[in-house]
Amino acid sequence: MERKEVISRIIESRKPLVQDLPGRINYEIEAEGGCGVTGFACSVPVRGKHIFEPSKQMHNRGNGRGGGIAAMGFDHNALGVTKEVLEEDYILQIAVLEEGVMSDLENRFIKPCFRVDFSERLSHIDDYRDIPGMIVRPPEIRRYFVRVKSNVLDAFVNETGLKGLDRRKAEDEFVYRNSFNINKTFYDAFGKQHAFVVSHGRNFIILKIVGYAEEVVQYYKLEDFRAHVWIAHQRYPTKGRVWHPGGAHPFVGLNEALVHNGDFANYRSVAEYLRQRNIYPLFLTDTEVSALLFDLYSRTYDYPLEYVIEALAPTMERDFDQLPIEKQKIYRAIQATHIHGSPDGPWFFIIARNDTENKRLQLIGITDTSMLRPQVFALHDGEVQIGLVCSEKQAIDATLKSLAEEDPRVGTVADRYWNARGGSYTDGGAFVFNLEESDGNYLERKLTCADKFGNEITIPTNQSAYITDKGYSLRDKEEKSGADLSVFFHKKQPDLLYEYLKDRIKDFSYEDFFDSLMEVKTWASRGNDCFETALDALSRLIDRRYPTYNKKRRSILQMIDRTLDSIFRSFPSLETPDSSRNRENNGVSCRLIDWDSRDLLRGPVEGEDTLIIDGSLFPPEGEDCESRLIVDAYCMGWRRFIVFGLKGQRFHGCGIGPDSGDVRIDIYGSSGDYLGSGIDGLSIYVHGNAQDQVGQIMKSGKMVIYGDTGQTFMYGAKGGEVYVMGNAAGRPLINAVGRPRVVINGTCLDYLAESFMAGDPHNGGGFVVLNGMEFNNDGTVIPQSVSYPGSNLFSLASGGAIYVRDPHRTVDDQQLNGGEIVPLERRDWELILPYLQENERLFGISIEDDLLKVSGERKDPIEVYRKVQPKRGETIAEDGLEEWNA
Amino acid sequence: MSNPNVFQFPEAVRTRSRFRNPIGKFRVNRTGDCIACGKCVEICPYGVHVKRRGQVFVENNYLCLGTGCPEPCYKACPVQALSVRRNPVFDTLGDFRWTNELLAGTWYMAEFGERPLAGLEYKVGNSGGGFDKLRLIFKGTRSCLEDITDDDIDVSLELNRRDDNAHRIRIEIPVYGGGMSYGSVSVTTMVSRARAAAALGTFSCTGEGGYPDELKPYDDHMITQVATGLFGVKEETIQRVKIVEFKYAQGAKPGLGGHLLGDKVTPGVARMREAVVGYPLFSPFPFHSVYSVEDHKKHVDWIKAINPKALVSVKVSTPTDVDMVAVGSYYAGAHIIHLDGSYGGTGAAPDIAKKNIAMPIEYAVPKVHRFLQEEGVRDKMTVIASGGIRTPHDVAKIIALGADGVCIGTADLVALECVRCQNCESGRGCARGIATTDPELSELMNIEWGTQRIINMYLAWLRELIRILKKLGMKSIKELVGRTDCLIHLDYM
Repeated sequence: MERKEVISRIIESRKPLVQDLPGRINYEIEAEGGCGVTGFACSVPVRGKHIFEPSKQMHNRGNGRGGGIAAMGFDHNALGVTKEVLEEDYILQIAVLEEGVMSDLENRFIKPCFRVDFSERLSHIDDYRDIPGMIVRPPEIRRYFVRVKSNVLDAFVNETGLKGLDRRKAEDEFVYRNSFNINKTFYDAFGKQHAFVVSHGRNFIILKIVGYAEEVVQYYKLEDFRAHVWIAHQRYPTKGRVWHPGGAHPFVGLNEALVHNGDFANYRSVAEYLRQRNIYPLFLTDTEVSALLFDLYSRTYDYPLEYVIEALAPTMERDFDQLPIEKQKIYRAIQATHIHGSPDGPWFFIIARNDTENKRLQLIGITDTSMLRPQVFALHDGEVQIGLVCSEKQAIDATLKSLAEEDPRVGTVADRYWNARGGSYTDGGAFVFNLEESDGNYLERKLTCADKFGNEITIPTNQSAYITDKGYSLRDKEEKSGADLSVFFHKKQPDLLYEYLKDRIKDFSYEDFFDSLMEVKTWASRGNDCFETALDALSRLIDRRYPTYNKKRRSILQMIDRTLDSIFRSFPSLETPDSSRNRENNGVSCRLIDWDSRDLLRGPVEGEDTLIIDGSLFPPEGEDCESRLIVDAYCMGWRRFIVFGLKGQRFHGCGIGPDSGDVRIDIYGSSGDYLGSGIDGLSIYVHGNAQDQVGQIMKSGKMVIYGDTGQTFMYGAKGGEVYVMGNAAGRPLINAVGRPRVVINGTCLDYLAESFMAGDPHNGGGFVVLNGMEFNNDGTVIPQSVSYPGSNLFSLASGGAIYVRDPHRTVDDQQLNGGEIVPLERRDWELILPYLQENERLFGISIEDDLLKVSGERKDPIEVYRKVQPKRGETIAEDGLEEWNA
Repeated sequence: MSNPNVFQFPEAVRTRSRFRNPIGKFRVNRTGDCIACGKCVEICPYGVHVKRRGQVFVENNYLCLGTGCPEPCYKACPVQALSVRRNPVFDTLGDFRWTNELLAGTWYMAEFGERPLAGLEYKVGNSGGGFDKLRLIFKGTRSCLEDITDDDIDVSLELNRRDDNAHRIRIEIPVYGGGMSYGSVSVTTMVSRARAAAALGTFSCTGEGGYPDELKPYDDHMITQVATGLFGVKEETIQRVKIVEFKYAQGAKPGLGGHLLGDKVTPGVARMREAVVGYPLFSPFPFHSVYSVEDHKKHVDWIKAINPKALVSVKVSTPTDVDMVAVGSYYAGAHIIHLDGSYGGTGAAPDIAKKNIAMPIEYAVPKVHRFLQEEGVRDKMTVIASGGIRTPHDVAKIIALGADGVCIGTADLVALECVRCQNCESGRGCARGIATTDPELSELMNIEWGTQRIINMYLAWLRELIRILKKLGMKSIKELVGRTDCLIHLDYM
């Protein structure tokens, strides 16, 4: 039978399934805004408790009215079945809300059609009220390991005319329809709700409750339950007081579990599209239709993953034009067929998929074409490989930290972090982590990562990681004589200390390097000058890129982070303001404050000038968050702050107000959203990646980011001097006015400087220097493949300029809307030169050796940089209606 | 200010039109037959006629009640020198929503601080829908409150109903001024509104075009707007005020963002917004940083991080799921949900948007009111309605539909003698010097005058509201909230 015919038979034969559904208008009643999503795939099965921490980190992305997790890839022993049963059987899990219906359900939908190899009631803690804050009793879960009886399957195939379909696929289809019938019979979103199927795929389970995601782990006692892939979802539904878990994520297709962050604008249209294919959502949320879409494309239409992603997040506009012709043909056909089913609006999917045909597990993250939701990907390589996808970076860090505490082979820092550009020709906005069995051992899998087009994300393989439990600890090696570092401290030469330590990485073993760090730590406690030298040198080791030879950069970072943390934690608290104590501390002028000692906050006394804040236990926002503490401390007279141990705490630098030029804040750890939004004078140094909404409405001051920055960077900014070492995500500098002056050394995803209105750069106005560079694994600065990949650059801008390093002229008019590309003038170069010099000082990106060298040849700046400015002479049509310019 | 016994409303002071011949409904004609007997001056209670140096003039045409006058001068004139006819100019004024009668009625209120006497329809317009199809009904029983003094009727409104650490703010009249940005209106207009708000114990709003220094003295009565363009929004402006308003959308043009024409971007406007002179300014239609309810919460948290005591108001238009938006805003920590319906908007909002997008406000308000009630959070949230509130009767109607108070914009401008010519969008040439940034045109008005006109109008509204409440037998405006039984819809009787 032709494939086409099989597909139409499948769809046609589903008709009886949905025919008797009541004809009411089927619309989304459980709209919700965004949520928190997180997921990771690990080469070895890991405990459920590791999804606990990241879920908790994202509390502020949910409201406790719906949480869920999915786990995939188990050890058969833990489930009490044989390996064969685990791999071949469907794990049918039914959430029971009304115990009484179960015998009826079993008699009608399980016993007659399934061979049940194993069944159990899922155990859970006795009283849900033992979990603080939980208000609704989670459902009882019945779990069945089933195969469809052979004669039943035969009858099904005959009845539906699906003879041409592979037998296993027919069985899949049977399971799907059977579950649909169970839900239809026992679960009515508008009325009675007795039971529903939570998941029915192979080698994975879903659990969901009314509550927070981590409470699922607690309630069903999954802390020690191991799986390869975990995904979790914190839900933020806004409608309705009474909740049932049926609406919570993840949703199931057949062999995949999907969580979703966002909200479609076209739920109705997608639902209609599905209805035309005899698919009806029963839980009335947009996430359910997403899972159904994915299942339709991947299982019914049998599309390869790339096409599934294209159908969900189509490649548009200029990105489409950049694709190879062959690809364009296929994509055009996909779009023509499926555009009505393509979710429109902000969304981000994380999908755990059991690719049974190819015997591999997958973790997939897909971003919408307009990149309206935040997302971060990360890859951790080593003896244990981990791929992570989250809505916020701190959830990644929390996952790694939690895993590292149990397994020393896991580091607290990933090898790579990156964002995806939704619907793009470069990466397609989607990444897939594949877990393949290595040598038939299904518990030791091999993890690979590739984008939508199959381009692999690689990590250097010749580097080894630092394994923490190899016998050295923070204390017992202090006596061992390492190198003599005293000269650097006596002469206050942090730059030489940095150079020294960085050069030693090549020859030192991790142990020796660790000893040197301990030595630095010892020195750091010997007075202010020594502390500053140590801080400066260690910060540079975090901030700069340099070759790490046979060692993993993430391991070096992890060691330095720990050293810095322990240096910071060694300072006295604010308890003792008397100066005698200062002498005891060798005149160190720093004071430490943390969550427990926050009430001791007072102004600085003589000899104190730096407040070190251990942010680890502070809440991310609200009255008690440490950004408020900083404001209070500022009012009491503190001017210098060092914040460390962060887990995504937000709003640093906000609220200090104008005339704060004498304030400096240094941020270590996972900083959070809205960092420095609104600052007017102060300086912030972010030692690592920054997150979303950084520097919004910034008025003046300086910000230095030693890494990438997230969405809507400097939205509506009015001024300030900002240096970004890496990339900015989507929508940087939108609606910025005044005189912001920004150097971005990487590139941006899209929409850079839309509606930029920053005057005349030569007359006090603002500009952006976009260098389009990146660091390779050796820490060398190299140009990115294109300086600016996005389709929109400087749209509708009326002032300011963008200076883009583009020696190969990759930026073209198609990307502009209201702007024009003009050659650089001498005075432009003179204008940006001081900023590039500061950039060189901060990041070590050399003007002469890196920026002005093109393919090894030193060029004139005028050949290397190009200027994008607002089109002069004609004003942009005010209503945009003109069709002819007479 | 929060003690009702201490707060005193200002006095209404008669504030005449800025123009020599205010437009009225009627025009009185005096022929040369006049013998200057002074009879008309004597009998006209409204001061239409004036006797000066032995001669009698028609000085205040606009106050004439015309044919509706109980004791018409033209009949009393011994020499039949007087005649009255409808003023043809009057019929060129206004539109269906703001009829010429409503305009003249509002001008009257702004001049005298009283409702117009007779002959002018000052309660409803002629739009054929919305408030114009709703009527307040008084159940026929005589109110037992007629002997109570006006001072005992409570029309004040608490804006912070969450039990949190933000300011406790009470406004003395359930009306405050909506956002009009510097750029869309003149500084004189802004300051007049701010001063009036301060005198009346209520608020006025900066709009999104920055916070001119002239408004500084009225900080305690200002709301500053954080809108999608973030123009003029600085930490300092957020810290200066007691209420911060997020403008997610405008009811008059939801989903369209804002657009200030290049011509209106004068050097002053450009300086305030730190943009380029002569170029149009766009506010994007969404907040680029807010695409979901948890982004919104983060956004609110941000404002609270900058100004922890500030009340947060969330201004949204009225999509069909506005109830969800409202409850989402509650959970995000907002104090006020401000529903902006589509009847409002100056001439700058395109008609196609005003007339075709979003839900009518009279549907949105009860929807939100009931939904918040079902969620059990109605008494934690202040619901403000805006968009085409023209009269005190509109105020009473929308409160009866479920709002706590209202926000007005165009009515303020009408008090300043806006004629609704709808030319606001065509550059800075506002004929009345209100919606302009042109320095010369701005001088058509002075602040003292503007302030008093607005105060007068509010006082007239206040008195009318009290009259309505008394007749309904209610001692407090709070009793009226959600009392849809006090309303009737003309199409569904």
